[in-house]
Amino acid sequence: MVITGWSAVTAAGIGAEALARRVADPASAGRGVVVDGLSDVPLPAPTGHALPGFDVRAELGRKGTSWYDRTTALAVVCCRDALRSAGAPAGGDDTARIGVALGTTLGSHKSVSDYTRETLVQERPYWVNPALFPTTVMNCAAGQVAIRLGLRGVNATLAGGPLAFLNALRYADTVIGRGYADVMLTGAAEEYAPHRAWAAHHTGTTANVPLGEAAAVFVLAAAGEGVTGPRVLAVATGYAPGGGAAAGQALGGCVARVLRRADVDPAGVSAVFTGEADSRDTREFDAVTRVLGRAPERVLAKPMFGECDAASGAVALAVALSRADTGQVLLTAVGADGAVGAALVEVGA
Amino acid sequence: MTGLGPVSSIGTGAAAFAAALRAGASGASPITGFDATGFPYRNAGEVRDFDPRAHLRRLDPARWGRSGQFAASAARLAVADGGLDPDRIDPARAHAVIGTTSGESAVAEALTEQVVGGGFPAQDPELVARLPAHRLANAVSEELGLRGESLTVATACAAGNYAIGYAYDLLVSGEADVVLAGGADSVCRWAHAGFYRLGALTESRCSPFDRDRSGILTGEGGAVLLLETFEHAEARGARIHAELLGYGMNCDARHAVAPDGASVAECMRLAHRNSGVRPEDVDYVCAHGTGTPTNDLVEGRAILEVFGTEPPPVSSIKSMIGHTMGAAGGFGAIACVLAIAEGFLPPTINWANQDPDLVGIDVVPNQARRARVRVAQNDAFAFGGNNAIVMLGAVA
Repeated sequence: MVITGWSAVTAAGIGAEALARRVADPASAGRGVVVDGLSDVPLPAPTGHALPGFDVRAELGRKGTSWYDRTTALAVVCCRDALRSAGAPAGGDDTARIGVALGTTLGSHKSVSDYTRETLVQERPYWVNPALFPTTVMNCAAGQVAIRLGLRGVNATLAGGPLAFLNALRYADTVIGRGYADVMLTGAAEEYAPHRAWAAHHTGTTANVPLGEAAAVFVLAAAGEGVTGPRVLAVATGYAPGGGAAAGQALGGCVARVLRRADVDPAGVSAVFTGEADSRDTREFDAVTRVLGRAPERVLAKPMFGECDAASGAVALAVALSRADTGQVLLTAVGADGAVGAALVEVGA
Repeated sequence: MTGLGPVSSIGTGAAAFAAALRAGASGASPITGFDATGFPYRNAGEVRDFDPRAHLRRLDPARWGRSGQFAASAARLAVADGGLDPDRIDPARAHAVIGTTSGESAVAEALTEQVVGGGFPAQDPELVARLPAHRLANAVSEELGLRGESLTVATACAAGNYAIGYAYDLLVSGEADVVLAGGADSVCRWAHAGFYRLGALTESRCSPFDRDRSGILTGEGGAVLLLETFEHAEARGARIHAELLGYGMNCDARHAVAPDGASVAECMRLAHRNSGVRPEDVDYVCAHGTGTPTNDLVEGRAILEVFGTEPPPVSSIKSMIGHTMGAAGGFGAIACVLAIAEGFLPPTINWANQDPDLVGIDVVPNQARRARVRVAQNDAFAFGGNNAIVMLGAVA
């Protein structure tokens, strides 16, 4: 699959250029910005890699956006920009052949929890706002992307947490490969909200890196004449029952599989973009070096953009595309249970 | 399709579920899954007798949410029904694909109660760890020791069919020998409240396609099917219930909750085309049939548009089990397989009055019917305009 366009909404700002500036100067990320404006309750940490000034009305107007949750807003804005950056969609402009594959953890945790809260605290348990009910389903963001951009093709939401973006890439690869769609907007989104911040605090995923929010979306089309851009060469996901050390083995299996499928010499892999939060965590990197037989450059997106959960892999790919690298790079992810995955991407010209 | 694993309000296991479909059983009962005090309507299709320990061999139920337990239990039932020992297959070529609307909704609601009671710091970290929706598929992979893809598809009430469709792709593209595919969801407060406020909830009985239908009955359960390549099934001498012919998917791209008739009709045509089926080949439509005035009208009219004035029989098993959300496509597929394998049409129960707008639709009212079913169509539509239709056939 060829990436014919992409965009990202991250703590660095809206769009690919803002992301590239931070990639060029990682120290500018610091520990993030003060996030108390994004919450009406105390947060576990005063700062995070969020975009407090993000205003969906400024981007999309008031019409039809007043009920959006933040996840939906981030996804719709990002998909709009990704589609713009692709210009005329390669593979045709038949909107019935353009689809969406978005990764998530559980949709908007805040939307779901706030809805339940209303059923508990209101005088009557059914005094909930019907207009907000669609935000409680996990496919709200992908559905609104389709409505806003008029995309009638295969519309999928994949719940994978840390694996979500690789799940979405793999799904899009299947959809295009099987001929169900010509173009797939593929990415993931996570919002900054107290619900996520506290969940991350309780499970320890933000012990070594601030929480982040982001959406990153890539416009994918089948490789063919006149279709130019970076290429997703292969994607593989798997599961290691029991997790732990078995997950490292399984990840190595996925890395070997993408190299074999793409028929790529392991010596040509210049860098690996892992889901690890900091340089002391080498569980993914070790699995990659075992398979490659050497240690390529390791790039960590999380110190720059925070723990973005489902969007982490998408942000990592955006980082890869922002750098001046050429050749093949690997993306890896490992979930809390036993889910693992890897993608091989050809970047540069 | 070699194994069936239903965990439903009308029966658990293929034999019990089939008998209940034939009998036109109702799974509606007063809600116990949450405190329904104060709700005007207090019935749902709950799996009252669900005991995960009766099914699970590897998974510790204490570490997993109710929806994950449904998924894993249904998967365990499916392999048992299919006579497959998961320890004797190539685990890297065995995948789990589970659809859901609300994931671990019961976990999310328990956490919200903790937040309401004592603030966010008061949440139980063990419970937080059970929250992510991807744990539904992970529960299946863990329970059966599968090392292939473990994918949770979160396309709301069409998710079960998305999962079965993706399983089809894994099988025909050479990625898989075996896939466990279906869906799971749990009854929860927020969905009950939301559907009520949308005016889409019925008081006590779900009456799809009836003139006076008043809405859905929320339901729950796990519905997983064992799918294998023909070669894999044949090599181990498996009993083949039915064949998965293909599927179609599209997106309305019009409205967050209201379905679009033209798009639904187009999805039916896509499903037929992708499966090499003509409308006149279809012997039975297992409808999405939620029982809301809008869905059934839109779906019924789309059927008349695609099939003409004499469409095949159309029934809604939601009249019996309620709307099981992400599991609905899975239950529909199981019903289709049973219809094909055992030669009967599941009824639409609670039906009394012909809808003048749906003349020509035979809803198999109230009584199951003997019939030879060679090709069946399983509909599933969702919020967000996500449509997915799976086609099933008798073994050629």
